[in-house]
Amino acid sequence: MGLTDVTSDREQAAPAARQGHPTRQSKSGAEARSDAIEITNVGKAFRRRLSTASVEALRDVNLSIRPGKFVSFVGPSGCGKSTLLKLIGGLIEPTSGRIAIGGRDVTEPRRDIGMMFQTSVLFPWRTILENVLLPIEIFGLDRQAATQKALNILRLVGLEGREHAYPRELSGGMQQRAALSRVLMTDPQIILMDEPFGALDEFTRERMNLELLNVWGERGQTIIFVTHSIVEAVFLADRVVVMGTAPGRILSVLDVPLPRPRSIELMKSPDFARIVFAVREHLGVAR
Amino acid sequence: MSTGVVVKERPSLRAAIYGWVQTHPGAILSPVSFALILVVWELCSRAGLMSPLVLPPPSRVWDGLMILFTAPWFPQHVWLTTAETLIGFGVGSVAAIVLGIAMVNMPLFKEVAYPYVVAFQVMPKVVLAPIFITWFGLGIESKIVMAIAISFFPVVINTVVGLEAVEENSMLLMRSLVASRHQVFWKLAWPTALPGIFAGLKTSLTLALIGALVAEFVTAKEGLGTLIINFSFELKVYLVFAVVVVVSVLGLVLYGIMEYLDRRIVFWRQDHFTG
Repeated sequence: MGLTDVTSDREQAAPAARQGHPTRQSKSGAEARSDAIEITNVGKAFRRRLSTASVEALRDVNLSIRPGKFVSFVGPSGCGKSTLLKLIGGLIEPTSGRIAIGGRDVTEPRRDIGMMFQTSVLFPWRTILENVLLPIEIFGLDRQAATQKALNILRLVGLEGREHAYPRELSGGMQQRAALSRVLMTDPQIILMDEPFGALDEFTRERMNLELLNVWGERGQTIIFVTHSIVEAVFLADRVVVMGTAPGRILSVLDVPLPRPRSIELMKSPDFARIVFAVREHLGVAR
Repeated sequence: MSTGVVVKERPSLRAAIYGWVQTHPGAILSPVSFALILVVWELCSRAGLMSPLVLPPPSRVWDGLMILFTAPWFPQHVWLTTAETLIGFGVGSVAAIVLGIAMVNMPLFKEVAYPYVVAFQVMPKVVLAPIFITWFGLGIESKIVMAIAISFFPVVINTVVGLEAVEENSMLLMRSLVASRHQVFWKLAWPTALPGIFAGLKTSLTLALIGALVAEFVTAKEGLGTLIINFSFELKVYLVFAVVVVVSVLGLVLYGIMEYLDRRIVFWRQDHFTG
């Protein structure tokens, strides 16, 4: 896994200054809170049910992610990208190696990390507003005070007027917007997204990508975005982590030095096509 | 009101009724078929095809109903059977839900207790009625215990299955929010289980009525089941039929109340939205 080491070194060497990001405001305080994520020699094996044999989901993963970066994980099914996401989120523990955020080992879930899944995971017995307020209730914060914030976020993601609808009454895209709103409620410094738009149609997915970039541009969280779409991975990210299977591992890490803010027009550019092709080639090596 | 308005409205109303009939043929055909069965039944009986002693015609059953409803002793039988059913159902289902919750939260307890639950669920509980009469006497207690025994298990099983039906991602979301056990239960598991629990409650309320009646059949001083037994001994078959009608209506009313509560409380259930 020499490639992995080389690329994580490259990340460390990269200049700290963020380029082409006019909408980002470093004074917002969100960035001061952000911490780097350090993944060192991480492996994860799952015990197979009714068997002593175990399946190696991840082997020797090394990666460091600087605060405020947008990083995509792309790879085929079974490459362990979702597992890696859960490891970072503290939902599962690594079999070997360590994961640290801001120098502190991750051993359990943290409330300053938000998660989004392929399904919206909205509770059908709660209205959209009530779903968005769920984290506030769980944190034991003042619901009344948070309601105005929730309404603002719902307006930001284009769900104004649907606050009192039930999830069932919303389209798939709108449901994911609500799920995004729920994540934003807690102002997480890191957002982990597991194929959040994977179940949406192409048009909705593109719109959601742009809206996600807008939200990120305003708040500057660290976003880790798992996808199986190469185009989506490149379009969104500062860096694309290419993963392979059997065992799940990092094949390479590619920088995406495309200007921001990004629009759909960008997909026409030769630079974009070149990076997409490069990711494809690195994935091809996975055989 | 001018005649012009009336002329304009009539076709639209007729069209509306016509359209409704076209889209809901069952709503018309079902009562029509019922009326038809009653008419044929009545005619067969009057033509002498069946002895009215064995199968009384609908008109005779109606007479029986009138006798029951004017009899001063009748309401107490209805109330008694209703009370046995509701108390048995109430105690049984609350206990069942508590047991279900306990099993889900204590895996070892579940592992030990669940086989018993399944075994009792499979057993036809009516065979216990004579035993309960021996243990708890001829009064209301043995009927309540029978109603509990018969209505208990569907609720236990549905509670356990419902509480364990929480989706993996929902659980991951709650864990990522560092929710307490208490919060996971009340904000996620309990609402997830409610549709299943209500399905169990609907079944078990009907079963509780059966339990109360069967226990009354075996031995009792009062109740609708007792009336049925007594009237058949007296060969007053038309009165037996009349009580059967009353029991059916009672069952329907109880079920209707549960159905209403289900729709109000579990409003998010899928078939409620489409239906």
